[in-house]
Amino acid sequence: MAFSHNVKFFLAALLTATSASTAFSAEPALFEARVAPILEEHCVECHGPEKHKGKLRLDSFEALIVGGESDEVVTAGDPKASELFRRITLPETDEDVMPSDGKPHLSSNEIKVIELWIAGGASPTKRVGEFAGLPPPKAPKPPYVPLTPDWRPHAAELTALANSLHVRLVPRSRIATDGLVLRTASAPGRCDDAVLAKLARFAPFIAEAELARTKVTDEGVAILGTFENLVSVDLTRTKVTAKGLAALAQSKKLQSVNLTNTAVDDAAVAPLRAAHSIKRLWLFGTKATAFEAPVTAVAGEL
Amino acid sequence: MNPSFHDQHDFCSDHGGEHPTVWDLPHVPLALKKEWLELETRRHFLGRGAKALGWAGLATILGRSAPQLLANAAAPEPGAMPTFVPHYAPKAKRAIYLFMAGAPSQFETWDYKPALADMFDKDLPESVRGGQVLTGMTASQARLPIAPSMYKFAQQGKAGHWVSELFPYTAKISDELCVIKSLHTDAINHEPAILQITTGNMFPGRPSIGAWLSYGLGAVNEELPTFVVMTSKMPIRANVQALSNRLWSSGFLSPEHAAVALRAGSDPVLYINNPKGVDGDLRRAMINGVTDLNRQLFERVGDPEINARIAQYEMAFRMQTSVPELTDFSDEPAATWDLYGPKAKEPGTFAYNCLMARRLAERGVRFTQVFLRSWDNHNNLPNNIKALAEDSDQPTAGLITDLKQRGLLDDTVVIWGGEFGRTVYSQGTLRPDNYGRDHHPRCFSMWMAGGGVKPGISFGETDDFSYNITRDPVHIRDLHATVMHLFGIDHNKLTFKFQGLDQKLTGVLPAKVIDGILA
Repeated sequence: MAFSHNVKFFLAALLTATSASTAFSAEPALFEARVAPILEEHCVECHGPEKHKGKLRLDSFEALIVGGESDEVVTAGDPKASELFRRITLPETDEDVMPSDGKPHLSSNEIKVIELWIAGGASPTKRVGEFAGLPPPKAPKPPYVPLTPDWRPHAAELTALANSLHVRLVPRSRIATDGLVLRTASAPGRCDDAVLAKLARFAPFIAEAELARTKVTDEGVAILGTFENLVSVDLTRTKVTAKGLAALAQSKKLQSVNLTNTAVDDAAVAPLRAAHSIKRLWLFGTKATAFEAPVTAVAGEL
Repeated sequence: MNPSFHDQHDFCSDHGGEHPTVWDLPHVPLALKKEWLELETRRHFLGRGAKALGWAGLATILGRSAPQLLANAAAPEPGAMPTFVPHYAPKAKRAIYLFMAGAPSQFETWDYKPALADMFDKDLPESVRGGQVLTGMTASQARLPIAPSMYKFAQQGKAGHWVSELFPYTAKISDELCVIKSLHTDAINHEPAILQITTGNMFPGRPSIGAWLSYGLGAVNEELPTFVVMTSKMPIRANVQALSNRLWSSGFLSPEHAAVALRAGSDPVLYINNPKGVDGDLRRAMINGVTDLNRQLFERVGDPEINARIAQYEMAFRMQTSVPELTDFSDEPAATWDLYGPKAKEPGTFAYNCLMARRLAERGVRFTQVFLRSWDNHNNLPNNIKALAEDSDQPTAGLITDLKQRGLLDDTVVIWGGEFGRTVYSQGTLRPDNYGRDHHPRCFSMWMAGGGVKPGISFGETDDFSYNITRDPVHIRDLHATVMHLFGIDHNKLTFKFQGLDQKLTGVLPAKVIDGILA
């Protein structure tokens, strides 16, 4: 019986698919727009072209409807009777739960999409607008933008230079184009303007400069202003003044500057405020007082 | 005795009385002992060789001091090596974990249950309990009478968190908090529960969160430990639960990843001060000598524990300089004492430890865990919890404020909470102004702030009795996976091979990052 139901359902689905494909509609089908991507993300690795565990494939509507070795996995109109739905909603510790082997489970929103899709007839063509109560789609991930050039070809030189200057250059992440952090916390007293001058050769790789309590002065901060890929600078308890900040504001990608416990005032900070890339400016323990726009995120205010 | 044999195989360096090896066994033929040595050395050597070729090359050299690098380079299993580089760019560079040991009641703190007000002394419906096994402390009670919170709640700030009147200072900074009301754990008693939340496992012997971070990310400031623990003086001594260093141990990881416990008073780290008649130069010369001997031993046997020992000597030496500077509060402005409260001047108080946590964060310590005990309020709960709140509220809020104003909250995640929750029904006699609460693992509340956590939100829900979770459950494993994520670590990928298993903080059961609380 299950088989005949399956065949009938499959034929019906095919017919619907054929007729719908001729009709023009700007609005996508729920299956295409929302269900297939969820299956792709969570299921297809094991139930797809490469592996098809349990003889089940979920990489196309047709394959999904056919089901696996132990029967169909979707009963149109009835999520509770659908093996697919049952498996993804089992408790995390259940040995039948899917995805298996500790892989991340579906979010409650993803489960809801599948539930609504099955309840609505498990159609390949039914439009998004025909489903009530759909959770909002996930915001698409913004495409990755490399921040710096790949530092790896220079690894040996960078290592030698950092060691000779008693600073650390640490990758921000395993993505080599996320750049390096200049780290001085172990020996801030050994980092001064001369160190920054020597690092300038590798400026494009440096995305963050942690310079709190260092001996850096305006001269060094001006050098930082030429670091084209710098996003964050911590100058807490340094001798930086207006002159240095004016030069630092030239750095085009700079988002965050920490000036806690420095001698700067509003006039000194003005060029940074005017720099449109700046999102965070920390001014605790300074003479600068106002935190208003264009600085979007306000420092020191609770 | 054959002198050449003695030259080759006298492994005694500076340490006596360590566990015996094959060499110490009588009646084992020399040939067999030599074979063992070769195998051991070969195993370590292979590990080292493969590591040197790996991606880790630059990272290990750049990220760690020389002795730590040595220790790392000799780690035995190439597949399990850390690279000290996060998998993705982190939001958090440090964490401060305010651990409320003993398990604070969610009813008087963060899980406001107004419907209970009309149910004073009514019996907890059996349908809510659902046949759950209770502890021996209340299983024999004739009744399970509902105890509403004695303390009032009010909505605060833009976020509108319901905050208990016990926390007037925290109320003012509550817009910074992400309150999670749907934590749950597997254990119903303190020791397994506190081990599970600090180490990911109910059994002792696992590395704690801070040790995993140290192992995975290395130090920011090599002059200070990567992982620091402080225990606090208790404002009251009631239902005190023991703390032990297995809560902050390195488990099977190299010992250098264990926390250094800072003590209150003039000698924050034991035995780092030079004794009379020993100056810095002499101490340096002595450590150099011992290190030379240890290096020679390492060259011969390749045991990574030897390098861990070298690293520990070096760390102790560096702390001779870094710790006095750290613990000297004379550079704090007067405003500090207004912020953290007057008790911050008294070493060992929770307030003092909160200020110390900020100073550690400023200096780049990755993970600071501050313990405050006595939250295990089986009886006299209203009075005891009031004393604890009075002791901890102002410094907690002060810490958040201070981190924020100094630009540290952006990349420091602060975590507040205990090891499980407490029951809606009273343990012992229920009066309108006094009651107790038993252990409750099915749901409890915590909050997090900063470090890439979404501020001003409430996550997860419980039923009217805060007995069962009704929305978005968060297991301890999920909390751990999320903390790792904030540090840029994929919890499934930070592993260490031990007893045949790729061990990880989150263990073998499924764990997920709680996307809903990420900023």
